[in-house]
Amino acid sequence: MTTDLPRRVNRRAGFPESELEKCGLKLETGAPVTGAVAAGDAVALASGDGTVRFFHPETDPTVTMAHNGAVLCLAADGDHVLTGGDDGRFLRVSHKGQVEEIANFGSRWVDCVAAGHGQRACSSGRTVHVWRDGKATAASLEHASTVGGLAFDAKGRRLAATHYGGATVWERGQRRWRPSKLVWKGSHGAVSFSPDGRYLVTAMQENALHGWRLRDKSHMTMQGYPAKIKSLAWVGGAPHLATSGADEAICWPFDGKDGPMGRTPLCVAHGGKRLATCVQSLSEENAVFAGFQDGAVLLAELDEAKDAVVVRGSTGAEVTAIATTRSLSHVLIGDAKGGVLWTTLWEGEAHARTV
Amino acid sequence: MDKPAQIPVTVLTGFLGAGKTTLLNRILTEHHGKRYAVIVNEFGEEGIDNDLVVDADEEVFEMNNGCICCTVRGDLIRILSGLMKRGDQFDAIMVETTGLADPAPVAQTFFVDQDVADRTRLDAIVTVADAVHLDAQLGEHHEAEEQVAFADVVLLNKTDLVEADGLERVEARIRKINPYAKIIRTARCAASLDEVLGLNAFSLDRVLEMEPDFLTSDHDHEHDDEVASVSFVSETPLDLDRFQEWFGNLLQQRGQDILRSKGILDFSGHRDRYVFQGVHMLMDGSPMGPWPEDGPRMSRMVFIGRNLESMGLKEGFEACRAT
Repeated sequence: MTTDLPRRVNRRAGFPESELEKCGLKLETGAPVTGAVAAGDAVALASGDGTVRFFHPETDPTVTMAHNGAVLCLAADGDHVLTGGDDGRFLRVSHKGQVEEIANFGSRWVDCVAAGHGQRACSSGRTVHVWRDGKATAASLEHASTVGGLAFDAKGRRLAATHYGGATVWERGQRRWRPSKLVWKGSHGAVSFSPDGRYLVTAMQENALHGWRLRDKSHMTMQGYPAKIKSLAWVGGAPHLATSGADEAICWPFDGKDGPMGRTPLCVAHGGKRLATCVQSLSEENAVFAGFQDGAVLLAELDEAKDAVVVRGSTGAEVTAIATTRSLSHVLIGDAKGGVLWTTLWEGEAHARTV
Repeated sequence: MDKPAQIPVTVLTGFLGAGKTTLLNRILTEHHGKRYAVIVNEFGEEGIDNDLVVDADEEVFEMNNGCICCTVRGDLIRILSGLMKRGDQFDAIMVETTGLADPAPVAQTFFVDQDVADRTRLDAIVTVADAVHLDAQLGEHHEAEEQVAFADVVLLNKTDLVEADGLERVEARIRKINPYAKIIRTARCAASLDEVLGLNAFSLDRVLEMEPDFLTSDHDHEHDDEVASVSFVSETPLDLDRFQEWFGNLLQQRGQDILRSKGILDFSGHRDRYVFQGVHMLMDGSPMGPWPEDGPRMSRMVFIGRNLESMGLKEGFEACRAT
């Protein structure tokens, strides 16, 4: 990895504008960016004004007015995206601007969405609704409190929903979904299965992660963060789980028999005194993007001895979304004030090619 | 880093039928040119006329930090965070609670969740009380006492339906629970909105306005279970270490019974006034500039809660005096 971050840089003053930024496309969308995800060859970006934008490496970005209010959540569904909004609608949006309403919950928000192998799920209040390809009616999965996070495993056979007091893993049977409860005191939000499906990890209301080894429901607590963890990403082959919530990307090892238990995490992409608010994997490159509360985005290998590169300098607005195209050609960064950077990762003077 | 502006949040509490929705609709229709987001509970009885009304299930969560009285409103964290994602912003947010709600988890949410605290601020807890029924409700429901105890403003409503001496009696009852709340007598919630909104009652600045006149400690012996208040004054400066040890232990052990606490303190060897306020065992405090030159340096402290008599507060406070 190239080092364009001098060791004695005055990090209090913020990171300088990067070369990648100078050759990229910058937009001021006017509304907070609420999420970004790779969809087909493009990257989709959701905003607080209800719009969904698609950024394609070859063509100009498109804008679709999808929700009448904020887009609260976003997930890729092939080359489409699923979105949930505070207008109570669960939508499927294409890059051509077609909007299909899957469901409408009226004054109840759609808080979480997930997609996997032709299945489309959303949560509104305490209920998760799951549609299977080709079926008009949804299965309704009930929980004791409002659902805070929703995720399919890699095979689409299990669906995890988090709530107060733990998580419920629903396993798809022939006729119905069967629940299995994972109990841990406190309120749980964002959730993710490890890529091999052996672990489930949740971000808690407290400044901590909680994990379960699904085989025996044994617990893993990962704590000591100075702030709430808003973002999780699986990185590299081991894999590591990269997390926000500290002044660098905290990456827990999930290889071996016991995963991160009794081991220390790798800490990369140090941001000075700023807190990381968003992480994203540069998949297959064993590298992680870390976005910070001052708008800076660093890219670092999972190697504490190596320095990070600046992808985006400090702008003053918290990074709320980072996504790369599936081909890893481009990265999209969005912030809480509506600033967007869309740039290639592989061109320009100080590119990140040597990762 | 740019610090985003904090949007004020007004919490409306009060028993069913006291007039919360009437007040809410007055605020929404009379404050022209202001944009509000309104968070209502599922049991709201009347329609609310506003662009943005959000339905909430009141979900009270215990924080997993070993403290049984540290509860928050999980739905508020979710909804306030969601509202901050919208492109268009609001001048203020109103939260209407159910009649039987305990205001503590609402207030504690603003202490505990960093995102909520960064982007919003609790402006005031406004309790709408029914002048006809409050007396009976206070006797029957803990929640009614709590709503009065937490109030920054008590809107004593339906005063047209009560005789003058009855009104005096109910006001005295409110005063006994919470001598620091501002009581506004109204019929049909016809209070001036400036008395209800934009109060900044939870800012430490406002603690400085605590009237020393109120702070006389002449309380009857209360029934143990009743909410009451006590206050203490010391002209001798306090010792910081002793105070921290005593007060820390007190909140840790008795925080469940201490609903609200406030104080302005003079620590020996410190130039600045130290100001704090707390809800149960959560506390926010900081030095607030030097003492005024023309006034006395005097530590003052107020507690509102249950079983205060059994906490040895007076002795504890007096033992903090620097010698």
